[in-house]
Amino acid sequence: MTTATAQLPKSTKPVSLVTRWKRSTWIPRVLFPVAVLLFWQVGMQIVRRIWPFAVDVLPTPLEVVDMMWGEVIDPFVEGKQAITRENLYLTFGRSLLRLGSGFAIAMVIGTIIGLGMGLSKAVDAFFHDWVMALLAMPALAWALFTGLIFGMGNRSPIVTVVLTGIPFVIVNVREGVRNTPRDLFDMANAFKVPKNRTTRHVLIPSLMPFFFAAVRYAFSIGWKGLVIAEVFSGQDGAGWTIKFYYDAHRAHGIIGYAFFFVIFALLLEKLVFEKISNRVFKWRPKTTDVELVEALFDGPDDAATATAAAKI
Amino acid sequence: MAEIKIKHLHKEFGLGDDKVIALENVNLEIEGDVFVSIVGPSGCGKSTLLNILSQIETPTSGTVSITNKGHKALPGYVFQAARLLPWRTVMDNLLFVQEEITDAIRERCQKYLEMVHLGDKGNKYPGELSGGMQQRVGIARAFSVEPDVMFMDEPFSHLDAITARSLRRELHEMWKATNKTIIFVTHDVGEAVELSNRILVFAKGGVLKDDIQVDLPFPRDPSDERVAIAKANVLRKFEELDLVAT
Repeated sequence: MTTATAQLPKSTKPVSLVTRWKRSTWIPRVLFPVAVLLFWQVGMQIVRRIWPFAVDVLPTPLEVVDMMWGEVIDPFVEGKQAITRENLYLTFGRSLLRLGSGFAIAMVIGTIIGLGMGLSKAVDAFFHDWVMALLAMPALAWALFTGLIFGMGNRSPIVTVVLTGIPFVIVNVREGVRNTPRDLFDMANAFKVPKNRTTRHVLIPSLMPFFFAAVRYAFSIGWKGLVIAEVFSGQDGAGWTIKFYYDAHRAHGIIGYAFFFVIFALLLEKLVFEKISNRVFKWRPKTTDVELVEALFDGPDDAATATAAAKI
Repeated sequence: MAEIKIKHLHKEFGLGDDKVIALENVNLEIEGDVFVSIVGPSGCGKSTLLNILSQIETPTSGTVSITNKGHKALPGYVFQAARLLPWRTVMDNLLFVQEEITDAIRERCQKYLEMVHLGDKGNKYPGELSGGMQQRVGIARAFSVEPDVMFMDEPFSHLDAITARSLRRELHEMWKATNKTIIFVTHDVGEAVELSNRILVFAKGGVLKDDIQVDLPFPRDPSDERVAIAKANVLRKFEELDLVAT
């Protein structure tokens, strides 16, 4: 006699609120910054009691938020809210323009060198050690060096972005070229697919993940380089503004601006990179999708098993 | 349908002490809508032969001609792994290998997707499909160019036994429906017996040792006694020819 087991229908009992809370990840996520802010606020109260001069040096979260709010609303409310010369938007606009210019140059030159290194062993040997040296070079050194050469203005921050970002572009593009899927090219050759179609549908898409990694690295590393360069040789921009707060001995300004950097980077990641990434890599499977398709595919078999079990 | 003529085919890799003979003086003729399996131990040159037939590799000496009524035959390929473009949908993967893309070609691709029971998966990406389904797409892609001859390199070796069995059944039905010449490389003797009219046995060093006709009616059930006997006979030949790995 054969026996078969049928799958029991899935439970439809509603999940309790407590279980949902236990399962959710956003509560612990929110809990962390709340705990930090609370610790900061309470800590400051205690420190200021023990050491009254801390008022000038160590700000409370509320003071930082107040300064940040002043910067945010400055252009929209009459009168001067922020103490800086240029408002937040203009400052970040200038920095973004420099970052964009440096980034574009790094991408173009880096891609050309990366392609060369991936395709030719001689080109790889020529550039290899210097790229490694560039990778090891601190952004601070480039910022000081370009500051000395170009002086105040746009050029030093832009060149710093190029020099800090370019090795990451080169390395990623080179790896992309080296990892092109040989078996897919063989398949295309076997089916006599024209060369230009193979380039468009095999080569370029296979390079995209590496190219995208290059973009992300160059942008984030370049951003840090830019800020340092602006500290030394900027007359405006985000780095210069942080230096301004430093010179003015306003710790809440430095911390507030540091938060603006983080928020700016996160916005860029969420609104630009993630959107592009989702669009370009929509073919990448999401685990839930695979399960769904597998379930659909196995569906008739499961149904047959269940029917057989019912008959026994 | 195609006509394949192989004369004095010789292939070696490397030079001097590193020289390896992959195929040695292979002479062969294959004609009509036959299903020919190439079997043999690892390193017997079966994949090399397929690569030469597919023009992925060139022979060291000898000639190979693959024609259809005097014209160059159109080939189709199914590889060991499905080799699909992960960034293109299933339908686009089929269209990628077509000479031109027209509505009629689209319909043709859809027809072959339906033949492998994936008619509703044209808009899915390969990563959203199981391994068996991906290989089905690979088979549909090869048939969709409507080739005269089909080359298959161990297409079911990566799949689990149940999936492989159902795919073998589908492949057999497609072969019957389309009258192709199929050259099928496998290391699974049972698979070869189940599918083929003719089994070519290769030994290490790329020597064609035997050419076995399998005259059993289709479709062949692996649990059928006659199929089991035929498989046992081929395996016995392996022992006689001293091909069994030690």
